Amino acid sequence: MGDIGIKVEHLTKIFGSGENEVRVLEDASFEVKKGEFAALVAPSGAGKTTLLMMLGCVIEPTSGKIWLGEELVWDEDHWSIPDTRRIRREKIGFIFQAHYLIPFLTIIENVELIPLVNGWPKAQAQKKAMELLEYFEIADKKDAMPSQLSGGQNQRAAIARALSNEPQIILADEPTAALDMERAVKVVKLLRKIVEEQNVAIIMVTHDERLLPYCDKILTIQNRKVVTTTPSEHLIV
Amino acid sequence: MINLAYKDIAHSYLKFIVTAMGVGMLLGIVLIMIGVYRGMIVDAEVLLEDIGADLWIVQEDTLGPFAQSSRIHEDLKDTLKVNPDIAKTAALTFLNLQIKTPSGVMKRVYAVGYDPFGEIVALNPKRLVAGRGLQKSHYEIVVPVKLGFTLGDRIKLGRNIYTVVGMTKGVVSSGGDPALFVSLKDSQELQFLYSNARIRNDRARGLKVQADTHLVNAIVATLKPGREAKKVATSIERWKHLSAFTANEERNILTKNVIETASKQIGMFTIILVLVSTIIIALIIYTMTLEKIKEIAIMKLIGLPNVMIMKMIVQETLALGILAFIFGNLFAHMIWDKFPKRVVLLFGDAWILFGIVLVASVIASLFGVYKAIKADPRAAIGG
Repeated sequence: MGDIGIKVEHLTKIFGSGENEVRVLEDASFEVKKGEFAALVAPSGAGKTTLLMMLGCVIEPTSGKIWLGEELVWDEDHWSIPDTRRIRREKIGFIFQAHYLIPFLTIIENVELIPLVNGWPKAQAQKKAMELLEYFEIADKKDAMPSQLSGGQNQRAAIARALSNEPQIILADEPTAALDMERAVKVVKLLRKIVEEQNVAIIMVTHDERLLPYCDKILTIQNRKVVTTTPSEHLIV
Repeated sequence: MINLAYKDIAHSYLKFIVTAMGVGMLLGIVLIMIGVYRGMIVDAEVLLEDIGADLWIVQEDTLGPFAQSSRIHEDLKDTLKVNPDIAKTAALTFLNLQIKTPSGVMKRVYAVGYDPFGEIVALNPKRLVAGRGLQKSHYEIVVPVKLGFTLGDRIKLGRNIYTVVGMTKGVVSSGGDPALFVSLKDSQELQFLYSNARIRNDRARGLKVQADTHLVNAIVATLKPGREAKKVATSIERWKHLSAFTANEERNILTKNVIETASKQIGMFTIILVLVSTIIIALIIYTMTLEKIKEIAIMKLIGLPNVMIMKMIVQETLALGILAFIFGNLFAHMIWDKFPKRVVLLFGDAWILFGIVLVASVIASLFGVYKAIKADPRAAIGG
């Protein structure tokens, strides 16, 4: 149990009821360990974002169980911790297609914000933020506003923000969709590096099969279930 | 902890300041409206305060001289003087006139007639900004400086020509018209003496010519120390068939009967303006929140607690309210003296408005807070 990043058992999500009922996921189960980089692949409308939002404690599943690390966060019909935002800011890092940095905060303020909300002392939050900015080679831009940085620099700052709270998992929603292939590979390699060096679990939604070789496992939504394969198995299929 | 409101304002401070200036001008108008109301009260009481009488004695069953027409005989001042409680008496007249200013504009003025040699002088020497008070029984006039006359100017009123011997500032009628001073005898002629043509006409009609100008509008009196004004007034009313009011009663007549409707009107405008300001602040905050809804969704998604987001909105609203209040005060103090009638800006009123603005800002921020709480963190995620 000690190396679980994310574990999902019999997860079901149904929207609406009666004639308007839409079953997105049904009895889905999978697991992503710490230090594993998983890609979530499925056609549009198959429920990738819905699954990501359930894992991110943003929307409630209909039934099933979700573990983040060793903590059971969703138990059949309720959140184990009522304050789901606390779960998000303490355990999860989010990366989006666009950087979505807060435009009125500087780069370093964006990165240190969540640690500060989590109660870290200012000096510690600042030290962590600087370490991350140096790691992503944008330390010299720490006092710049997001509007003053290039798209790539902002995306690196957004990844730094996702890591600032030392999360157990990172949920990345198509982080390379807006990038050309060269830059997309750079970002995925960076995520790969984070997985290896920081022992976190990453689930990345992507449509680009060229990025799958960089992942450890592929989660595919098929017939409302999640099928787990390796990149080589997925590409053969 | 990072102050999100401060950061957001600093990020777009120019827009914030311009918005605050706009709201501030509205609040400035609210302050001016309150000032106009205060000015009306002050105007109403200027003559009362300057004359400083304990009793106002007027025609029986009237509320004269300010609220109702009153005519009584001048010699009543001597009759009343016999009263052992009364120290001093004086006869006064009050008359609305149109006067032609040096620039050729006709201005409505309020002429006060008093006896320059009497026991109570209506002209408060402190009001004089140039020249002197009346020293002769005829043909001298003291005018408000704002009419544009200079000392020595000659003004034709009625049949006679008057020389400007003094100029005052701040003396007005209860309606805010500038007040000038002439001697009692001159004012009696102005008010009660018919023109020659009218006298000839009356004679031709066989009417008895009204030649008695020894009438006044009110007798004022001061009391000897320790006397109770109400008691003396009651005694005068009982025995002399006159109406008598204490200074406080006269003040109430002015504020209740003369300017109450106007002040209520101003009060209504003020209340409406405060409501409009609240609605405008609410709309601005609501729009500002809508502009940030994506950022708010991101904040919620990455785990920022509602209280932090609400704090940002409320702090921004309060900052807008406070800044608008400061701009409003500056604006009001820049324009108050441009108004034709007296505007009195009091610290107390400004502080009350400040309190109202703070409460209104908090209420206004609720719209933004509601929108922020309703913001769906899923809005931050595509797909």
